[in-house]
Amino acid sequence: MKVKEFMTTNIESIDHKRSVYHAVERMVNRRIRSLLVRFPGNEREYGVITARDVVFKVLAKGIDPKKIDVSKIASKPIVSIDQNMDFKEVAKIMDESDIARAFVYDQDRIIGLVALMDVMSASIIARARGEYVS
Amino acid sequence: MFLEKLFSKGKKENEVIGDITKHIKLLCTACGFFKTALETDNPNLMRKVMDIERVGDAIRRDIISRIYEGAFLPYLRPDLCKFVEIVDSIFDLLEDTGYKYLDLKLPEQLRGECIQVAFLNRRICEMLLITFESMLKGEDLREKILAIRIYEKKIDDIKFDLIRDARKIEITNFWEGEILSQFLSCLTSISDVIEDASDHLQVIHVSMK
Repeated sequence: MKVKEFMTTNIESIDHKRSVYHAVERMVNRRIRSLLVRFPGNEREYGVITARDVVFKVLAKGIDPKKIDVSKIASKPIVSIDQNMDFKEVAKIMDESDIARAFVYDQDRIIGLVALMDVMSASIIARARGEYVS
Repeated sequence: MFLEKLFSKGKKENEVIGDITKHIKLLCTACGFFKTALETDNPNLMRKVMDIERVGDAIRRDIISRIYEGAFLPYLRPDLCKFVEIVDSIFDLLEDTGYKYLDLKLPEQLRGECIQVAFLNRRICEMLLITFESMLKGEDLREKILAIRIYEKKIDDIKFDLIRDARKIEITNFWEGEILSQFLSCLTSISDVIEDASDHLQVIHVSMK
């Protein structure tokens, strides 16, 4: 089963200069666990900020999320994968890179996101489909 | 064959099973046409979905007649008929969605998400077919029904994004907005009905044990 069949296509992004508090608001509002962070300059220069980053790097350390920029805690560079990649390959990349999400590229453009839950769901579907569906 | 063990599987039963399979396969074809019509913005192909709906109607009538002419044990007939009716209502919903599409100019910023939903609708139909065939073989349906639920949840997630994106579109005319809203609502509710159909297969499966 290919990544493009099951990736999340609606990706929320945030500018690197915004505060972590702003990022938290966005994540809570949209009920998502990560945001793509846009940096100036290179088109492919992206980072990612996750709920885990917010909790461990800011809240647990008693830092005021309004006083710290997203760029300070975002992980960079992001792990990118091809839309035609199989989910098994993605699982391997996630394991090797110890990450919970990978971004899907079509040439120079990010077109989707695959998270751990997507990989699990895809594995269930692939099993249920067996060899039946082309 | 599972059904074969439970019933004296005669000519009528074979015909009914064959027709139900044909009915679901036709639904997969209709969903495929719908997705391609949306991708290519092809109204002629979209009209083919309506033609297929009429063929599906004829198959449904045949199946129901055969069942009440004596195919299968009487206690199973209402559940089988209900399953066929649910599948037929998916054809109807797909047809309605197609008519609404022909009536509107789909904003390009929504097309990508709509195509994604149409693609998943096709996949979920294929899974319904796989589930039906697994039921005939007497296999456990749990994994297949879970796959259908996963697809349905995925479409639900896209639905919320679609509604949010649709709100950003400037509407200048009441009917333009109304038809767009109805189109999105129909498109994203097809998977709900397919899920109902799969739940009903589970009911039939359990009642056969």
